[in-house]
Amino acid sequence: MRKTSVLLAAVSAVALAPAAMADEYVIGVMSAQSGYLAPYDGPAYAGFQFCIDEMNANGGLNGTLPVRTIVKDTRSDIAEGVKVVQEMLDDGAQFIVSSADADPTIAAAQITMADSVPTMTFAGTAPVLTQVGPHVFGSYPADNQQGAVLAKYARAQGFERVYLVKSPDSAYTLGGPEYFGTAFESLGGEIAGTSLYSLNQPDFSAIVTTIKAVDPAPDVIVTWAWEPDFPAFIKALRGAGVETQVMGGDVLDTPTVRGLGEVVDGVVHTSGGFPDEGSPYADFIERFEAAKGTTPDNNYYVNGCDIANMIEQAVAAAGSTDPAAVTAAMAELEGSAVMSDFTFKGTDRMPLRDVVVAKITGDGEKEFILREAADPDLLPAP
Amino acid sequence: MADALATHPARLVAANWMRTALIVAIVLLAVAVLTFGFGRAGERIAVQMCVNVAAVVALAVFCGNSGIVSFGHGAFLALGAYLSGILTMPAMLQRTALPNLPDFLVAHELPLGASLGVVAVAGLLFAALTGSAIARLAGASATIATLGLLIIIHSLAIGARDLTRGSQTFFGVPRETDLTLALGAAILFILIARLFRESRHGLFARAARDDPDAAAALGINPRRTRFLAWCLSGTLATLAGALYGHMLGAFSPASFYLPLVFMHVAMMIVGGMASVGGAVAGVIAVTLLQDTVRQFEGGATVLGLELPGVFGLTTVALGLAILLIIAFRPQGLVGRFELGPGAGSRLLSFVRRRTAPADAPPMAPSAALEARGLSKSFKGVKAVTDVRFDAPAGRVTGLIGPNGAGKSTLVNLLTRQYDADAGSAVIDGADLTRVARDKVAGKGVGRTFQNLRLFGGLTAYENVAVAALAAGHRGRAAARVAVRELEAFDLGEDAATRAEALPYGARKRLEIARALAQSPKILLLDEPAAGMNPAETDDLADRLSDAARARGLGVLLIDHDLKFVNRLSEAVVVMNRGEVIAAGAPDAVRADPAVIEAYIGRGRTAAAFTHQREIVE
Repeated sequence: MRKTSVLLAAVSAVALAPAAMADEYVIGVMSAQSGYLAPYDGPAYAGFQFCIDEMNANGGLNGTLPVRTIVKDTRSDIAEGVKVVQEMLDDGAQFIVSSADADPTIAAAQITMADSVPTMTFAGTAPVLTQVGPHVFGSYPADNQQGAVLAKYARAQGFERVYLVKSPDSAYTLGGPEYFGTAFESLGGEIAGTSLYSLNQPDFSAIVTTIKAVDPAPDVIVTWAWEPDFPAFIKALRGAGVETQVMGGDVLDTPTVRGLGEVVDGVVHTSGGFPDEGSPYADFIERFEAAKGTTPDNNYYVNGCDIANMIEQAVAAAGSTDPAAVTAAMAELEGSAVMSDFTFKGTDRMPLRDVVVAKITGDGEKEFILREAADPDLLPAP
Repeated sequence: MADALATHPARLVAANWMRTALIVAIVLLAVAVLTFGFGRAGERIAVQMCVNVAAVVALAVFCGNSGIVSFGHGAFLALGAYLSGILTMPAMLQRTALPNLPDFLVAHELPLGASLGVVAVAGLLFAALTGSAIARLAGASATIATLGLLIIIHSLAIGARDLTRGSQTFFGVPRETDLTLALGAAILFILIARLFRESRHGLFARAARDDPDAAAALGINPRRTRFLAWCLSGTLATLAGALYGHMLGAFSPASFYLPLVFMHVAMMIVGGMASVGGAVAGVIAVTLLQDTVRQFEGGATVLGLELPGVFGLTTVALGLAILLIIAFRPQGLVGRFELGPGAGSRLLSFVRRRTAPADAPPMAPSAALEARGLSKSFKGVKAVTDVRFDAPAGRVTGLIGPNGAGKSTLVNLLTRQYDADAGSAVIDGADLTRVARDKVAGKGVGRTFQNLRLFGGLTAYENVAVAALAAGHRGRAAARVAVRELEAFDLGEDAATRAEALPYGARKRLEIARALAQSPKILLLDEPAAGMNPAETDDLADRLSDAARARGLGVLLIDHDLKFVNRLSEAVVVMNRGEVIAAGAPDAVRADPAVIEAYIGRGRTAAAFTHQREIVE
């Protein structure tokens, strides 16, 4: 008899273990640990988990509510993402952090919509992604904010004519240059020409030849290309003797791009933040290095940490862990975080955050140029 | 007649149904294990697996029956997903997400069933349009063309922003693909694919896949068989795409591009491309492999051992699976035959229904093949010059000549493998040099090939049955003809054996049986005795002369074996250096000085020829 009850207790303990307990907050993290999104989701997840671990060490969210994370790989595959997010909801997830791209985030958000489970993308910057529903949130400064700030900076340098290099293969590589172009034109600039490339295109010589033939020559070339397309493009461009100023999106803020040497000397790009000495960001890097032994060398780490901060603040503001209440609280939030401050209030849930403009130097470093929030009058419509 | 042969057609029908039932049972078993064993998570894996079964079976309808790997089916999937998404999307959402949609597509809010009907029609039209180009190609060039199709449709989907939101996520598609729908579709697709595979069009396609020239010689148009397979395959794939779209709820053109297409092709190749069972087994194996491995990615404790989290294991596992399959089972898990028992299986010994052989064909009308002035040269080298001969019905006409005399070129002219430069070959008033290659059989001309050209992936019975079907016999009648010819050539025991697994002599006989199943007026035999031992040659000679006499068939017999030719032929035509140098009764021809010279050289005496005659006789 005694044996049976012990057994029963053990079985029920095992059966109940995965269900959400009242005294924990369950966050599902669908992150691409392999595939094309892995370079962004990987660091973002590392930063997120690091800050969640720090919080848990101090008692959890706001010091009182321990966090349990459910982490699953989506392989950058949308069908896998759909499956994974449902598994997390079954497992009691009260908040979903989704991959750094619009496709998987939107697919997940359609599933979390039923219970209004707040869903936030790691670093998806396409402003359209929050159109799915009132429970979907961005975390990183959106493409149109980055485009507007960069365009204002370019005009301030006296640049008149821009050449856009974009790829229709992703919302990011297509949208970024287009937002830049819109803002640039509304500031009196002119689009001198546009070229399209394909993701993973090995050869950019045709585009470079077209750019060389533009008369009068453009003052600045803008692309939201990422790796390996950006390295291939910049090498072809500089190799052909074109020394025109090149500007790009926040994907250029990686050590591999900075490591390209002379060809990227002087390339200007946007970014979500800059680790100024004595700033919370610099402090984050130090703590992370001390704990993990690796350097968080791009903004996705710190933005991952900021997502943990945003969730903590939203739960505090809601005064409850109810998904609908957290969603509502998040939408009204104005707060501070490690990379930069953020404002959801009054936006369509892509947060307004400062955009940093930085310049790469030939020795593999980056120089801070400016930090500002996008001018709402200049912000291109999503 | 042997029981094995008489009951073969009935057993084949039973075997085909058992195979279909087995494949469906495997799917049901996999779904049952997943849903009852693993709860809601298992059910979702089952839904995804069933949608993949539908998509891969659709893909295999073309690839398996044509032998051409297609990368273009992502285009059909995309068409189905986007079209069904637009048709079923709530009107409110559509106004926000697709503000510039053309009027005729706006606010339909169709139920899924109606939408799938429209999708099927659109898929068929699109398949017919693309198939009219792609079916003209074979082999690697067809594969490249399908890849081109994928790239074009991918680019169009990105460009047609008003319809697709371009490269941005297309969302708001009702998520209506549940387990019932997905499983129902998977089973329906399996039934359709199986029925098509064993239908006459499926057999024609597989015959043309194994040997397009031999298929054309039977009157099968390889291009047409590829076109039909493509149309059915494309229609099914479009429907599968719609189900996939309604499973995801949100997607972009990239969702249907190379990663998905490679995944489906990999599943098909892992399972075995040549059969429906292979496609299904591949999907199930890959799904189970990936979802098992996935459980260990985040780290796990196995037998008290703490495993570290290694993300990317699923991709590694799939890669390994493909490597192992290619190394150890190049034909896939299932192999070349359909999964399940064949017609020769003991399991089917309960099937006793006998198929009587068809009656002997009526005596062929006294047609004659009359060649006049046939000429052909290759880049100035004259292979055949001004050839003239008659091959009348009811008689065996021998065509001999030393190597390089132009005999095979002549056969290829008569059967339209080559276009004649000049001349005519008339049978029953029809000039063979002016009909299409796959219409030659319809004029009453059958042939065998110098190098055996059987349909290696089909059984002996199917090889003959496909010829009977191509000659216009239907169903039971074709089966009876096949039984008659297999019996006549002593192939009854081998009916269920795959042609490529038969011994050489049997393959030679099978090729002749296949040609005779079409009841030709004239049969062109290109070296039928080559490579046979003397006993086999004698046996073949007996069977051929029986057939010619009993059916009033005209035979044009081309062979090096002079003894064999002389024994069978009532008239002999001798060629040398592309020209006819002698024609007439065998005895007269043998004494012809031109023939002696051609065979043993100038300056020899008649005595030398007599000596040679003794040798050959």
